Amino acid sequence: MLLELRGVSRRFGGLLAVADLSMTVAGGAIHGLIGPNGAGKSTVFNLITGVIPLTAGEVFFKGERTSGLRPSEICRRGIARTFQATTLFREYTVLQNVLVAAHLVTTPGLASALFWSRPYRERERRARDRGRTLLEALGLGPVASQVADTLPHRDQKALALTMVLATGAELVILDEPMAGLAAQEKAETTSVLRRLREQGVTVLLVEHDMKAVMGVCDTVTVLDHGVRIAEGTPREIQTNPAVIEAYLGADEPGA
Amino acid sequence: MELSRSAGVPSAGVALIALAAAALPLVTRDSYYLDVATTILMNLTLTMSFRLQVSTGQINMAHISFMGIGAYASALLVTRVGLSFWATLWIGPLVAAALAVPIGSVALRVSGPYYFLITFAFSEVVRLFFNNFFEGLFGGPSGLVGIPKPDRLLGLAFDGKLELYGLMAVLCVGVALALVRLDHSRFGLTAGAIRQADLLAETLGVNVFRYKLTTFVLGSFIAGLAGVFFAHFRRVLHSSDFGLEPMVLLVVFTVIGGTGSVWGPVVGTILMTIASELLRELHHYEILVFGAVLILTMLFAPEGLVALPGTARRLLRRLRGRAPAAAGVGLAP
Repeated sequence: MLLELRGVSRRFGGLLAVADLSMTVAGGAIHGLIGPNGAGKSTVFNLITGVIPLTAGEVFFKGERTSGLRPSEICRRGIARTFQATTLFREYTVLQNVLVAAHLVTTPGLASALFWSRPYRERERRARDRGRTLLEALGLGPVASQVADTLPHRDQKALALTMVLATGAELVILDEPMAGLAAQEKAETTSVLRRLREQGVTVLLVEHDMKAVMGVCDTVTVLDHGVRIAEGTPREIQTNPAVIEAYLGADEPGA
Repeated sequence: MELSRSAGVPSAGVALIALAAAALPLVTRDSYYLDVATTILMNLTLTMSFRLQVSTGQINMAHISFMGIGAYASALLVTRVGLSFWATLWIGPLVAAALAVPIGSVALRVSGPYYFLITFAFSEVVRLFFNNFFEGLFGGPSGLVGIPKPDRLLGLAFDGKLELYGLMAVLCVGVALALVRLDHSRFGLTAGAIRQADLLAETLGVNVFRYKLTTFVLGSFIAGLAGVFFAHFRRVLHSSDFGLEPMVLLVVFTVIGGTGSVWGPVVGTILMTIASELLRELHHYEILVFGAVLILTMLFAPEGLVALPGTARRLLRRLRGRAPAAAGVGLAP
């Protein structure tokens, strides 16, 4: 198992947002995490990536415990994420955004930055080339020198995804990669996810577009009120009575 | 910001400062003008190192304290221990940087207004310490007096205004070169990323705390360097030299110029130090004028004076119906 959550809980005051959640994500899969609003999906992502601390439980990545580490250290171990509200370095160009994200792959030392040595400049050139290649692959080549803030929504989403890939992560966690996209753009994102799987990158995603989730995921986990209520292939999930109840609500007597 | 198109440009900007500094003595050797110019260069060293920390989103209200630490360390090591100024010129900043490590480690646990307050509190502690404790050492309220000028180096005597001006110019240009290079490197790019979205930077693998601490310690080193020079230039130290008022001026100088690039503090410091000289008659009321200027800048040019040409250009472009220009900080694409 690439990622394993063991008895993970998170309490916000009186609210138990995630309750004793255990789940695993297999390497090389596209794994969906779904559930009604407020089910705790984004909280689970925040717990895995160290953005907020766990109340109880442990997270393991490639067999090593990652819960309790700084987010940057968790990223260094190979987990990178996007945010639900697409977050970018808004004042920077598209390429500069990717260069910041590639920080781990091409670490700039303070001393070498001061002296601008030949190896430093060489490394910078390679980092830029690598950034451009990634941008080309995700169709952002033509806007590489545009300021991120001026991009259309679709390109901002694509940039956020490119940045996550630029970290060199083995597990990418995507919070609603399809939100706000047109049908054609959703299809493009789906094919990007499939291409990632071919390249051996594991994807864990939260998404509200059920058609997209069922179409692309190998495994789906369903959360409701912070509790895992089902897990299985898309086909199994679609016919699971507990899932249907969670989404549609139980029939009220006399209704 | 607009200057960051290619790697050659930033160094050319520093060369311009160096050239201007070298040209001044050819124009005038009047001791008053040399004094003002030396003060500008000293302030510039401070504002540029202050801005280094602003670039990662920290408003370090204790910046001036590290100048004080460098100043007192050097003054005491020269007068009490008998070390040469040329040794304390390095030791002073190192003392400031060494103290910055634990202090920064504590202060940087918080951010935003809390960081502002904790550093402000620290600066008051330092000021009161110099004022009220070890009066035999720090001189108490009457100040630390009798600090000698720098001793001879390579046959050069540093007893005139011109030599001191030259020394400060060399230090300032050295600092400017280092900071400009840093700003236009990946380090500067990451620093700016932290200022824009620190959580995003952190989840992309940037150890935000370490970056902030690095800029804090490096900034304190440079402040300490300015402090050492200050001690042997003024030759008397008062705790109020490193109190709230000079700290506020430091912030005003930096913000008026703009914090988006290293050129903001340059413009702000030169203009405001000259203004401060012109307003000398007003004594303590000058801070009122500075306050008004700061408010006007915040209202009409929030990105500082250096951003005005860029803003005007973008405005013109928009009027002509063209796409907005790319205005990235850091590396050229």
